[in-house]
Amino acid sequence: MTSLSSDSLSARTASASLAASAPAMVIDDVVKRFGRGTEVVTAVDHVSFNVAQGEFVSVIGPSGCGKSTLFNIIGGLLGDYEGNVLIGDERISAPHPEVGMVFQEESTFPWRNVIDNVAFPLELQGVAKSERMDRAHHFIDMVGLANFEKNYPSQLSGGMKQRVSIARTLVSQPKILLMDEPFAALDEQTRLLLGDKITQIQQQLNQTTLLITHNLTEAVQLSDRIVVMTYRPGKVKRIVDIKLARPRTSDVVGSDAFGHYVAEIWNDLREEASRGMADSESAASRRGAHG
Amino acid sequence: MAATGEMTARARPVAAPVMGGEASARSAFMLRMACAVVLLGMWEILSRSGLFYGEVVPSLFKIVLAIGALLVDPVFWTNLRVTFLEVAASLAIGTLLGVMTGIVLGSNRFLMRAFEPYIYYLSPTPRIILFPIMIMWFGVGPSSKIALGALSAFFAVALSTAAGMRQIDQILIRVGRSFRATKWQMAMKIYLPAMKIPVLNGIRLGMGTAIITVLLAETKLSNQGLGYLIMQIYTRFDMPSLYGLLILVFAIAGASNAMIGRAIRE
Repeated sequence: MTSLSSDSLSARTASASLAASAPAMVIDDVVKRFGRGTEVVTAVDHVSFNVAQGEFVSVIGPSGCGKSTLFNIIGGLLGDYEGNVLIGDERISAPHPEVGMVFQEESTFPWRNVIDNVAFPLELQGVAKSERMDRAHHFIDMVGLANFEKNYPSQLSGGMKQRVSIARTLVSQPKILLMDEPFAALDEQTRLLLGDKITQIQQQLNQTTLLITHNLTEAVQLSDRIVVMTYRPGKVKRIVDIKLARPRTSDVVGSDAFGHYVAEIWNDLREEASRGMADSESAASRRGAHG
Repeated sequence: MAATGEMTARARPVAAPVMGGEASARSAFMLRMACAVVLLGMWEILSRSGLFYGEVVPSLFKIVLAIGALLVDPVFWTNLRVTFLEVAASLAIGTLLGVMTGIVLGSNRFLMRAFEPYIYYLSPTPRIILFPIMIMWFGVGPSSKIALGALSAFFAVALSTAAGMRQIDQILIRVGRSFRATKWQMAMKIYLPAMKIPVLNGIRLGMGTAIITVLLAETKLSNQGLGYLIMQIYTRFDMPSLYGLLILVFAIAGASNAMIGRAIRE
């Protein structure tokens, strides 16, 4: 199986290298089913797309489209799946050093202050303390928390905590930054401003980024390409190139082109979201009838 | 009293609701004091009324004198030392075994399912019924009290550790895994710090039950310790000393509980 996948990969890279350099990540025909027997649910259904070096790709879809499952597979936390997620010629089946994950949930360590939170991955790698602090400081500065290094998470707002998580992931200098709705719990204004921060960092580091989200504005604001997923089972419905000029700021939200993209993707998304809504409503009414 | 008021004011961080918090803390303190004064007053009235036979309700003055006498009596201190060492040893043994058991049960669903009923149904049974067995195994001296105390502390620590283990925020474990932490790193840098509070809480509960069990065992059958001293004084029918000793025991138990409580908050 390994030899087969590396064969198909070399064929792919050969053809891809004609157009551009090798992609940073290849997601090739990934399938994930949960349960067994008659109760099998297909969460991710033959999903394929590439992420180019330095590119910002978003995966968008309604709740229940298998986004989070895909996030866990790519992050290596869900090793048991069909198909391939490849970085170079390595198939991901466990957390990979080149992939840095940022989670949707509040995930800072409450017993560590900001700088020790951010230095955590370096501590695991056995980096010497002074270098650890220097590197952590650099990324804390980048996310704009330079004055809060000694603060504990309980003293920070939700947006600040997510920035700590992002800095903690960036400090390990992953080739691919993988984020699962990192701003889901934040209000709209904070979300737009953090979007600016992300764009800025991404350009500064030329950071290859894969963002999982259900927020359309956020996806269009940040991405070079958007992968639109269908409601259960999660398939790729369409891939949209976002040709908004870079460098970009949240000002772009007001432009005609932005509105055009949002409308276009919403067209696809609405159908899927309403299927999801109908599904959960019928489930609720079933529960109601039984209850 | 002014000094105490000042202290509560200082201990209160600025973050607390300023006006209401301060005022209500002060009135709560006043109410507590007023209540104590009323109760002590009623005690004194009862004592002087002669309604009770002899010294059953001695006057406050006599109790205070008895406390003073106890505090200068070496017998009190040697017995306190015995009880203290018994409780400390029970707590050390109970904590060690409890933390180990708690970690094993908390991290292994299968073992938890297999052994949980034992722990849950055994933990509320009064340990004192095992005392005769402990005496046969370990003798009348401190060892039997330590064994019984350790058994009490064990359940509290094991249950609290197992619960803490299972309640660790799963996201933090996923973070550790995503950064490819080794098993050892997971234990030292995520589980251990995350478990600190529940384990310390278990130790505090364990200490409470260990004190109760040790004292109870000492009153039943022993030749030293505060429980033994209580029974000695009781047989002499020296009521002021008995009340005085009980007050001292309450104060010591309360103080040690407060000390662990403070350690948890820090």
